[in-house]
Amino acid sequence: MEADVVRSEMVLPPVMPFKRVQMGDKYQKGQSRGRYWKHLKQLLQAENFISLPLDEPNYLNIESPPSMYPSKKYCDITGFEAPYVDPRTKLRYADPEVFKRVRNLPNDHVQRYLALRNAAVIIR
Amino acid sequence: MGEIRIARQSDYDLFSPTTPIVIDNGGSTFRIGWAGESDPRIMFRNVAFRPRHRSTGETVTVVGEHDPALFKYFDCTRSSWRSPFDNNVVYQFEIMEYVLDYGFDRLGASSSMAGKVDHPILMTECICNPVYSRAKMAELLFETYGVPSVAFGVDAAFSYKYNQNLGICAEDGIALSIGFMTTHSIPILKGEPLPEGSCRTNVGGYHVTNYLKEVLSLKYPYHAPSITWEKAEELKREHCYVAPDYPSELQIFKKETKEAEEKKWVWQLPWVPPPQEELPSEEELARKAAIKEKQGQRLREMAAAKRSQKITDLENELHVLETLLSQLDEAELPEVASSILARSGYLSRQEIESAHSRVSQSLRKARGEPAVTVEENTDTATSADKYPLVSIPDEMLTPDQLKEKKRQIFLKTTSEGRLRAKQKRAEEEMMRERQNQLEEGRRLENPELYLEELRAKYKELSEKIDQRKRLKTNGNGNGNGNGTGNGNNVSGGTGRGERLNAAQRERMRLLTTALFDKGKGEDTFGLKDEDWQLYKLMSKDTDDDDDDVVNPDEAELERVAAKLQEFDPSFVGRAEAELMQSTQEPPRPRALTAEDYQVVLGVERFRCPEVLFQPGMIGEYQAGIDEIVSHSLRRLPNLDSSIKDRMCQSIIVTGGGSLLPGLEQRLETGIRATRPYLSPLKIVRAVDSVMDAWRGASVYAASELFSTQTFSLEDYNEKGEDWLKRCNIVYSLYD
Repeated sequence: MEADVVRSEMVLPPVMPFKRVQMGDKYQKGQSRGRYWKHLKQLLQAENFISLPLDEPNYLNIESPPSMYPSKKYCDITGFEAPYVDPRTKLRYADPEVFKRVRNLPNDHVQRYLALRNAAVIIR
Repeated sequence: MGEIRIARQSDYDLFSPTTPIVIDNGGSTFRIGWAGESDPRIMFRNVAFRPRHRSTGETVTVVGEHDPALFKYFDCTRSSWRSPFDNNVVYQFEIMEYVLDYGFDRLGASSSMAGKVDHPILMTECICNPVYSRAKMAELLFETYGVPSVAFGVDAAFSYKYNQNLGICAEDGIALSIGFMTTHSIPILKGEPLPEGSCRTNVGGYHVTNYLKEVLSLKYPYHAPSITWEKAEELKREHCYVAPDYPSELQIFKKETKEAEEKKWVWQLPWVPPPQEELPSEEELARKAAIKEKQGQRLREMAAAKRSQKITDLENELHVLETLLSQLDEAELPEVASSILARSGYLSRQEIESAHSRVSQSLRKARGEPAVTVEENTDTATSADKYPLVSIPDEMLTPDQLKEKKRQIFLKTTSEGRLRAKQKRAEEEMMRERQNQLEEGRRLENPELYLEELRAKYKELSEKIDQRKRLKTNGNGNGNGNGTGNGNNVSGGTGRGERLNAAQRERMRLLTTALFDKGKGEDTFGLKDEDWQLYKLMSKDTDDDDDDVVNPDEAELERVAAKLQEFDPSFVGRAEAELMQSTQEPPRPRALTAEDYQVVLGVERFRCPEVLFQPGMIGEYQAGIDEIVSHSLRRLPNLDSSIKDRMCQSIIVTGGGSLLPGLEQRLETGIRATRPYLSPLKIVRAVDSVMDAWRGASVYAASELFSTQTFSLEDYNEKGEDWLKRCNIVYSLYD
């Protein structure tokens, strides 16, 4: 290892004296470990909250319901209030000058603006 | 974030095995320290990274933040910074283990001889943590680190307890914790949190920073590489604020008042002006001029030498030809003439004469005398000779001669055509010249009027072009609205603005009406070969028509614009006017100014934190952080309203995301809107929103009764997972 890397001690050593099982033994080299771990969605499915009594709080129970207030529409580019929607790109805009800019946007910018709002159509 | 390089603690062995270690395992930061102390010893970003070391090829692990310069020794392309969290739940225990390794190591555990971490551990988790995650965490701590006993607690509750002991809030209240990925509202009754009343919404500091980063990158695409996550966080920390009333703040900026100008903040990116070229001094100039002179002189001499050489050559040739001619003239007998001809290499006397005239002409040109236009005579003289066969009627020729004749006809017509084309061009040139002169005359005699005319013409032409453009887009808009009747797309898929000119409309009409389903429910197109002849009827789907039609007007416009630019000082081109309106220009190939390298934060300063209050802005259809308090209270129907009133008088805002200025004021207006009229409301920020969770946990772990709240590996093994689910600590140990 290079001198500065060693000096900074940024890399974890392979053997740690306070551990009973070292990382190298637990996770064999070459096996893919990423897929072994369940993501949150799978975790929650496995929990099977439906079978539990409803009034007991659990991770899903305490999630917030949708907002009571109707969502306001804001312009995607400038952030002002946006009464209009561009039919071609589905972006919201506030006034005609912004509309010009919307029409001149390259396509990937359009997709990124929509993705910000979680409104992009993902084609797999 | 603090120091980049964290020093390893050296006093690990001084702590007895009964001293608990307190860990605040947060979505953004991991804090670890000893129970009873007022500050955690170690804090770092809760992320790990597994790059490949370039020279050895092995994969190593790096946890937390480090000096970016050292990463050049690693191949960082295949891997990225990973967090053990998914939303606010730990799911990736391999990364969790790396983080714990690093934390314990820096705490000094590596110096101990015990072979395990021999201290009880108090760790924070989110409220209602799924039992799978809790179980896996307990397993990790027990089996890999050999921890004797473990307890889990909610970070927001610890923060509340800590503030309660400081007297900031009462025994009953609400803890509003704004975390990294989520925000929780947890009611506290008699010092204990009520999970059945808690409410979580999935917006947090991460969403604010991400929104800021994306909005700035899209607004300034040219500077996108400089807008990193770390920079966005810094900008958020320093310049973002929560607007007390979002719509009116927007109006301030929309009207662009002076107040808006003051509120804007400009981030000047590092920029170096191009080095000014110093004007060369007098001597330099003189020297350079002298050198140029000399070079010019040399070139001229060379050219003169070449020319004189050429002249002498030509003269010699001329002389030879003249002697030949004179010889031919003197020769009386044809045999002598032919022998002379054979020797010279020319086939006839005419050839010699033509060669002679050519040479004399070039000689004259070389000498700089005007060339005599003998060309035409020779042409006309020889046209009859060159094409002798043309005039002879066909029947009298042999096949070979016929072929010859065809070739001559062809040559004749082409050369005549060329002549005619040349004449026409000359005429056009003369006409244009005359027109220009007329215009010049008009301009000189009455400049004002001329300019007026030009400007009027320019306006007319540009309007015409604009109108045509508008018609195209409007026509397309109407077409799109009406054209889905047959179930086919109207847009011909040109991909360039979907312009449908007459040809494309015709094509669509043919496709949709002539051959498709006539109502019988079956598509029989293509069964007969004749069907495909349809495509021959259509014109080619290109934009040529458009271009041809538009071009004359646009060319005219160009000319008029050029003239106006020349003569009218106040003229601003159309294209330039448009460009001036657009704001996201990359630095164009003109001189760059300091302004090109500025990122202006105007509306974004309060637009990004607004995401916390209106998650709909990023597409999350959940309640904002002010609304979840009301949801929280609604979930406790059994509680008396007087108790709820008491709770609302003691609302604590904690967590990293609560450091935004103006947050409490906004929260107050938001929460007041959901409470009964004139009910009491008091919102306070925690003393130290970021650290209080750890401090509360530290105080808790230091109390004597802490050991009654922990569980050991045997407990877990005997009682199983169900018990673990219900195993929650009692927070009021030390009241």
